[in-house]
Amino acid sequence: MTTADKKTKAYAKSLMKLCWQDGEFSDERALAVLQSVEKNPPPRYAAFLKAFLALVQRAVADRTAVVEHAGSLSDEALQATGKKLSQRYGRAIEVQSRQNDALIAGVRVRVGCDVYDSSIAASLAELEASLS
Amino acid sequence: MSSVIEQIEQQIANLQSKTVYSNTGQILTIADGVAKVTGLSEAMYNEMIEFPGGTIGIALNLEEDEVGVVVLGESTHLKAGDEAKCTGKLLSVPVGKGLLGRVVNPLGQPLDGKGPVESSESYPVEKIAPGIIERRSVDQPLATGIMAIDSMIPIGRGQRELIIGDRGTGKTTIAIDTIINQAKINEVGLASGDDSFRPVYSIYVAVGQKNSNLARTLGVLEESGALKYTIIVSAAASDAAADQYLAPYAGAAMGEWFMANGMDALIVYDDLSKHAAAYRQMSLVLKRPSGREAYPGDVFYLHSRLLERSARVNEDNGNGSLTALPIIETLAGDLSAYIPTNVISITDGQIFLETDLFNQGIRPAVSVGLSVSRVGSAAQIKATKQVAGKIKLELAQFRELAAFAQFGSDLDAKTKAQLDRGARIVELFKQPAFNPLPIEEQVAVLWGIQNEYYDSIDVSRIVAAATSIREFFTTRKESLLTDIRTKAKLDADLEAELKKAYDEWKPSFA
Repeated sequence: MTTADKKTKAYAKSLMKLCWQDGEFSDERALAVLQSVEKNPPPRYAAFLKAFLALVQRAVADRTAVVEHAGSLSDEALQATGKKLSQRYGRAIEVQSRQNDALIAGVRVRVGCDVYDSSIAASLAELEASLS
Repeated sequence: MSSVIEQIEQQIANLQSKTVYSNTGQILTIADGVAKVTGLSEAMYNEMIEFPGGTIGIALNLEEDEVGVVVLGESTHLKAGDEAKCTGKLLSVPVGKGLLGRVVNPLGQPLDGKGPVESSESYPVEKIAPGIIERRSVDQPLATGIMAIDSMIPIGRGQRELIIGDRGTGKTTIAIDTIINQAKINEVGLASGDDSFRPVYSIYVAVGQKNSNLARTLGVLEESGALKYTIIVSAAASDAAADQYLAPYAGAAMGEWFMANGMDALIVYDDLSKHAAAYRQMSLVLKRPSGREAYPGDVFYLHSRLLERSARVNEDNGNGSLTALPIIETLAGDLSAYIPTNVISITDGQIFLETDLFNQGIRPAVSVGLSVSRVGSAAQIKATKQVAGKIKLELAQFRELAAFAQFGSDLDAKTKAQLDRGARIVELFKQPAFNPLPIEEQVAVLWGIQNEYYDSIDVSRIVAAATSIREFFTTRKESLLTDIRTKAKLDADLEAELKKAYDEWKPSFA
C-alpha cells in the first residue's frame, strides 16, 4: 500500500466518524458528508469513494440482519428475529429477508461478520466434515 | 398405523434445531499463500481460519480493517470473495506414540501412505516454554555415538546443542547418527528389562529439504531399525513457506508430549537457516517491516521461543526432557552472520564442522577450537571423563602446533611428541557415517590412547587399529564392555582388565 493510499483511507475514516449519531450509523449524515465532498473533492477522488463505500457497507452490514430461508417465512417470525437481534447487539437491527433454496430447510442469519446457521445444508456440511 | 405417524411427527416437532454460530469474513486478495481477509472481527492471533474445501490458515496479522492469513497447504482453489471462518481454535497437531515410525506434515497428517495416524491427543503448535520453577539442571547424558562429540563436546538430556557448518560438511549425518544411536541404546536398554531405563524417542524435522534427501534419510533410519523410535515431520522445499515455518513448532509440540509424560525425547531441526528464510518470505508477503538481511524484527524470537521449549523438567512436572539439535548452514564458514549468531546465543553450545577438515578426510569434521558444550560436561559419565579429560586440550594444542610446524622443519622432541600424539587422536576420531559407537566401546578405545597403546602404531594404521580393538572387545571381551556400561566409571579392577585386554590384543595386531 502506498503512502497516498494510506492517506486516502485515513481521510475516508475521518469523514466516516462524522456519519454517526447517538452511537448509530446515520444515512442522512452520510449523504450530507458525500454531498459536501462532492463539492470539494479530495485528491484521488475515485480511491476515496471506494474506501468510503467499503466503510459504509460495513456499517450498514453491522445494523442489518440478512435472514436467508428455504421456503416461506412469516412476517411475525422476521419481526421476532429482528427484535431478538436488536436486544443481543444493543442497537437497532433492520431485517432483510432473502429466499435461498440451497439451505434445504431452516434459516441462516447474517449480521455483519456474524453468521447464525440452523439450516439443514449446514448440518449436512458438518456431518460430512465429521465423516471425512 | 396413523398413531405411529403422529408419534413420529410429534417427535420431529419436538426436535430442537441446532444453531451454529460463526464469525466470518471474505477474502479480499490472495497471493503467495497469504490471504487478506476482511471481516473476521473476532479472529485471535494464531487462530486457525477455515476456508472453503477444508483448507486451513493461521491468522498472523490482525489489522484494523483486515486480517492477514497464511494459508497452509494448497491454496490455488481459493479466490477473492470466498468465505473464511474463525474456528476459535489454536493450531494443534496430533501427539503420542502413535506417531512413531511415521512421516507427517506440519499438521500431523500422514505422508507415508501407511494409513491414518493413531492419536487421541493433540497439543497446540505454539506453547509457552517451561518456566524456571519447572526446570532442573541437565545431568543425564545423551550419547551421540560419535566419539569426538561424546568425549569432547558431550550433550545432556534437555540441552540445546547447535550443529553448524557449511553445506556438505556432515551436519545431517551427525544428527542422524545420534538418532540411530538412541535407537540402539533403546534396543539394549529395553531388552535388559531394567525398570529404570529411560528410552529416548526422536523427532526429525525436515525444513525446506529436497524430497530425495529426505527419502535417503528415511531409508537410513529404516535400515538401521531407528524409524520405529522416530517421528519425521516434513515440510519439503516444494511446500509452502507457511508449512516450512510451522514444521519446527509442530515437531516441538510432538516432543513436548514425551517430555510432559515423563519420557525423554530428542528433536532435530534440519535446518533453521531455511526456517528463517521461510519466515522472511512470509513476513515480506505480509508486508511486515524488514530489518537486517531483510529478516523481520522478531526473527530472534522466532528461534528463541522454539528452542526454549527444549528443557529438562523436574520430578513434579514428570521428570521428562526434550533435547534439541538445531542445524544451521553457514556460508563460507561465516559464523558472524545474522541467523548463526542468533542461534549460537540461544543454544547451550555448538558443534562447528569445518569444510577444510572434511576435505582432508577428517570426518566427522568437528572443529575442536570452535565447538563447545556449555552444560553437557555435567552429564558426561565418569568413565568418559576419566579417559577423555585431556583430549580436547591435546587436540587443540595439536591443531595450533600443526599450523606452526608447516613453516619450519626443525622441531624439538616435545613438540614432535605432541604432534605425533595429536595426529593419532585425529585418526582415532575418524568415524564412518551412520555407524555410532556405544559409549563402552568409546571408553575402551580412548583408554588405549590415554595409556599410550597407540603410540607405537604408525599413524596410517590407527584407524585399522581402532577397528581391530573394537572387534577384539566386542567378540572376546563382551563382559568387560558390559561392566563399563553398567558401572559407568573405571575402577582399579576395570582398568586392570582393560590393560590385560590391550596387552593381549597388541601382539595380535602388530
